[in-house]
Formats: sequence, C-alpha cells, structure tokens
Amino acid sequence: MAAAARAHLESLLRAKKLDVTLTHLRPALDAGRPLLPLGHAEIDARLGGGLPRGELSEIAGARSTGRTTLMCAALASATAAGGAAALVDALDRFDVESAAATGVQLGNLLWVRGVAASVEAIRASGHAAPGNTSSLWRAVERALKAFTVVLESRAFGLAVCDLADVPPPVLRRLPFTTWFRLARLIEGGSTAALLVAPERAGRSAGGVTIVLGGAAAPRWRGASARARLFDGIAPQARVLGRASHEGSHEGAHGGSGNVRRTVQPGQ
Amino acid sequence: MFAALFSPDSKDAAALLAAAQACSPRVEPQLGGRLVLIDTAGLTRIVGDAAAIAEELSRAARRTPHVTVSVAVAPSRTAALLLAIAQPYSVVLPGRTAAAVGALSLEVFDTLAANKGPGAFLPPRLQKKGSRPLVRACALCRLAGAPGRCGEPGGACTELATLRRWGLATLGDLAALPAADLAARLGQAGVVLQRFARGLDTQPLVPVLDEARFEASLDLEWPLDALQPVSFVLTRLLDPLSAALERADRGAAVLETTLTLVTARVDADGTKTRETHVRRIELPAPMREARVLRTLILLDLESHPPPAGIDRIAVRLEPAPGRIVQFSLLERAGTQPETIATVVSRLTALMGEGRVGSPVLLDSHAPDAFTLAPFAPAEARSANRGAGCAEARSAKARPVLRRFRIPVVARVALEGERVARVTTDRIGIRGGAVEQCAGPWRSSGGWWSGRDPGACWDRDEYDVTLADGAAYRICRDRHEDRWFVEGILD
Repeated sequence: MAAAARAHLESLLRAKKLDVTLTHLRPALDAGRPLLPLGHAEIDARLGGGLPRGELSEIAGARSTGRTTLMCAALASATAAGGAAALVDALDRFDVESAAATGVQLGNLLWVRGVAASVEAIRASGHAAPGNTSSLWRAVERALKAFTVVLESRAFGLAVCDLADVPPPVLRRLPFTTWFRLARLIEGGSTAALLVAPERAGRSAGGVTIVLGGAAAPRWRGASARARLFDGIAPQARVLGRASHEGSHEGAHGGSGNVRRTVQPGQ
Repeated sequence: MFAALFSPDSKDAAALLAAAQACSPRVEPQLGGRLVLIDTAGLTRIVGDAAAIAEELSRAARRTPHVTVSVAVAPSRTAALLLAIAQPYSVVLPGRTAAAVGALSLEVFDTLAANKGPGAFLPPRLQKKGSRPLVRACALCRLAGAPGRCGEPGGACTELATLRRWGLATLGDLAALPAADLAARLGQAGVVLQRFARGLDTQPLVPVLDEARFEASLDLEWPLDALQPVSFVLTRLLDPLSAALERADRGAAVLETTLTLVTARVDADGTKTRETHVRRIELPAPMREARVLRTLILLDLESHPPPAGIDRIAVRLEPAPGRIVQFSLLERAGTQPETIATVVSRLTALMGEGRVGSPVLLDSHAPDAFTLAPFAPAEARSANRGAGCAEARSAKARPVLRRFRIPVVARVALEGERVARVTTDRIGIRGGAVEQCAGPWRSSGGWWSGRDPGACWDRDEYDVTLADGAAYRICRDRHEDRWFVEGILD
C-alpha cells in the first residue's frame, strides 16, 4: 500500500517535472554531470571532481580559513581552461596581484567591483533595520543584482559572488527567495555559481557547501624570525551536499532537505 | 553603352570624377584618375541618345574652369577608353566599334603603357606556381589583363615592342591578325591585346562605391522626458539600419546617439542653438542585431541621462566588415561578443563607470598597482587547454590577500624590532597579541616623480597572525610613521 502510494506520488512529481527532488534518483542524475575542478586536489576528491555546473554552491568560513585561496583556485581553474569567469566583488576586496600569483588568467576574468565599504558604513548597518539604506546594505543589494545579471547571461563558466566580508546579520536579512532565484537562473546551464560568505547562506539543491575552518592554520616557512615567510593557508574543508565522498553528509537525504536548509540562512 | 572622360593632366582627376558622378553612379577611375569610365546604361531614357550623353558629359566637365576633357561614348568599355585617349570627342554607335577603334594609331597603347601603377596584372589562373608576383604593371596590361614583363625593373611591355617590330601601325592592323598565329607567337598576352584592339571588353566595369552611411533620425512631435519611450523610437530607427548593415555585410563598430534637447544655449553672437546630448559607444566587436544595439544605447543613456527633454533622436553607426567566425566540431563555441557587450553594459550601468572590466597588473612594485581593461576574453587553443588546466591544478596554495582599499589605521606595539601587538578601531578587527610574524619587507618607489606625492611610497610590510586566529598583512608608512592593516590573508 505504501509502495503504491509512493509510486503514485513519484509519477505525479514526474508529470510536474519535479522528479529531480526524488532522493533515490539523484545518483543517476548526477552521473556524467559536468563539473568544474576547484584546483585543490583534496577538496576536488571530496567533491567528486569539482563544483557542479548549473548549480549554486557556496564556500563558508571565517576569515583566514582559506576562503579566498579556494576562490582564487576555482577562478584559476576556470580561466586556465580558456573559459570566462566573473567575480562580483561586493566590497572591493579582490587583490589582483595575489590572484595572478595563484594562476588566474586575468584576461579571462570579468571583475565587477563593488564599493569599498567604510568603517562607518559597517558600523551603521550592524544593528539597523532591514529597510535601511546604509551603504553596506546597498552594496550587498547591488552586488546581488550584478550577480543576477552575470548569471542571466550564462556567458561564464564560473560566476563568483564574494560576500565574505559582509557581516552575517546583513546576510541573514536577505530574503530567502534570493538563493532560489539565483539557482533558478543557471539551472540546466554550464555555469557553476559560487557564493563566498562568512557562514552558510544558500545553495541550490544540487550544489555543494564547503565549510572551512577547524584546524585551518596559516603555514610558515623558516625557523628564525628574520627568515620566516608566510606560505599560505591550507584550507580544512568539510563538504556538505550531494557530492561529498567522505566526511559529513548533511545533504545526503535529498534535495528537499537541502532546500529546506537553504531557506534558513545562518543555520 | 559606356562613356569615358580623359584629361592629360592628373590635377583634373577630381573634376573628372565629379562630372562623371553627376551623370551616373557607376563610374570607374583609371590611370590615376586621369580617365574615368562611366556605365551609361539607363541614361538613354533620362538624357537621350549617345550624342546627347556625350554632350551632357562635356557640359558637366566644363563646369570646372581650365579643364580640358576628351569625351567618348561607345558600345564597349574598351572602345570608349581608347577613343577618349586618342580623340577629343567621339560618339560610336553600336556595330561601328571595330571601325572606329581600328583607325586608331598603336601609339594609344603607348599612353597606356607609360602609366605604371601597382597591381598584379596576371589573373591567378595564369600565374605560375612559385613565380615572383609582379607588383607594378603598365596601364595597358592592367586594363587588358594581359601578361607581360613590364613590371620588372627597367622592363617595358615587350609585346608592344614586338608588334612594332612586325610593322603594325594601327589597332586595326593588330585586330586583323589571325588570332591562332598571334597566340602561337605571343601566347595569351597576344590574344588579350588583340581583343583590346578590337574594342572588346576583357574586364567588366568595376564601379567605385561610396561607403554607405548608416544614419537615421526622427523628429518627435512632443518632447520625451523618460527613457522608456525612447526605446520604441530607437527600435524604429535601428531596425532599418540593422537590415542595411546586413545587406552590406557590415557590422556596427561604433554607435553614436545624438539627442537634440528642448533647451537652447545662447551663443556669443546672440543666436540660440539647441543643446545636444551626444553619446558614443565603441563596441568590442562589429555587431548588427537591432535588439542588442538598442539595449546598449539604453543602458548607456541610463548611466548618462540627458539633462532635459528630447526633441530629436539621431543614430549613426560606423560600419566595419562583418565578423567571420569559424566554428569547430570538436570545441564548444565561445561566448558571442554581443552577449559580453550587453552584460558589461548592464553591469556598468549598475555599478558605475570604471568598476567593471578585466584587471591588468601594472609594471610597478607599488602596492595594489593595477588597472582595468575592457573585458575581452581570449579563446584558448585546444592544444593549450590541457596544459593550462594542469598548471592550475598543480599550483600550490599561495598567500592570498583580501585588500582593504579604505585604509584601516592600526596601533602597533613593538618589542625591540618585533611587532608584539596590533589593535584597530575597526569593528571585527580588534586585533591582539601577535603569535607569528614575518617581515619586515621594505619597498619604496616613485620618489623620482616629485610632482605627484601620491605616486611615492616607502613602507615596511609584515605578515602577522594574531591571537584571534586570523592572519593580516600590516604595513608601516615610513614617511608618516603610521601603521595600517593592508588586508586579511585568507
């Protein structure tokens, strides 16, 4: 009886073209899916090859956990293959020299520079009402509009929205439909969308969340103080979502579970 | 029927061309402009018979003073050309071409042979593989399409010398020779010269065409204050322009929109002139889709709106040869430039001028030395793709900075030369005790450009990790002895 009801429900979902939400069908749908390598061997292995194209994924983590390192690695991977990539830099924090050193082909990168928010702007928006018009809030809104334009064009192999320095309270104020709308724009396309945020904000059902933190530590070279050299940050990642081959599998219970989490940012 | 205007003086070239274009749009200048060939087809109904056409051409040429022009009208282009050179005024009716041309002296060919100019006169099918291309040829060879060696240094039209050696005096003598024997002795050149001497065309008339102008304008019945109605007007203007571009196999390289406004300014002499709002958009690639062009103009006008109501809209497109794209069966087609241009325009309208583009590193050691270039992604060759991917994958994790472009002033406590503590007033960067520190690295530059103090820098940089677990790059401005947090190492 239960099996018949389930089969009936599935047939109804198929008729409505909502069968992508069926958990047991997901591995079959994922097979042969185009992926964009992040350029980080260990995390790529956990992701099953890279970021899924046509989905919205996210990198979440505190500062100095390797968010920007991973973001630049993804940009390098996307641009090195001859494709075009876009970076919507909400608060104008992108450092060109660092990106070039990590292998980003700058000629293939479209950099959309937001307004560099000042100390006063961040302070003003920290406890302001949702409808406020502080410069930081406007910068976030404008960045998301720009990200929408980039995704709508479907002209880029990788589109990144860098909200890493936006305070979490401001991100939580965004309507939860924002992420649905963004994911919908690239559905079925070849663009891999990536959101970089201080905490989990939102991703599509087929996307992945890379949570950075834990034992991430800056690496140093050289013993003496005079000869010491900062050698980058080794990201320690926890992959959540459809493609995690190891570690946490919070999203393994299917798309509906993932979707529910995406509408409650910050959890 | 064809006509020809000839002047021995090259200074009269412009007058000749103007006179010819006054009668027919299909004209072909030759001999450096001293001779203009005219296609008179259709002029019979407008002007009259051949004599009337010749008279009309003479009248048009005489409008310019001090110009001596020979006029010829003949059934073939070649006959008109030869007659115009040899006689001041000739009108030849159909069926009498051979007689009229045959009476001309062989010296007509000398006039043509004396005019040397650039051009490989050998048709491609007659060129030998690996032979040296001829870069100069006499007008006779160029017009007749006849091979010869006149292009060689110091060379002359050898076929012409041979004809004189044979005792030929007129073009009729040459025309009367057996074609087969002539071909046996002079080859293809002899045959072509004989056709020329008979007044037969060896090449069609190739008219020079003025570059088409792609302009359209519309006077409005009442002023427009908003951009939405402008969109409809632009559609009406751009649709026919786009069709014209397609017919001419051209694309628009530059879009110029001129909006005549309702306001007027008073000039020094007291006259009132309507103000205009001119916007010029240089496109990354030639494009001709009306919808894309309209979107680009509207986005540009959104960023730079006119200060007053619009009374008249004019659009001018600068044409460029159409874009030829060769697709591959094995590679995914790249993004169309139209799409890129539209996206960049939308983003520029949203974020502001100078905020969208491709970053380019400057050749400088100054901190944050970069500029923004127009975004024009280059398609990588398939052979290089694998190498690029491999290089990207093998790239080691390097320090990546998140740069604060608004300076964050820091307070730094030193223990000897060592940075011991960093604190700031910025929310979220409270700082703390330094756990690890690397540096200082000193850099300075721009001191030689004394006129621009902003271009100078002299600083010490440190990479530090603080007790809060974050890593920062801090620097000390040695001029002002102030400390700043340059960014977060992330």
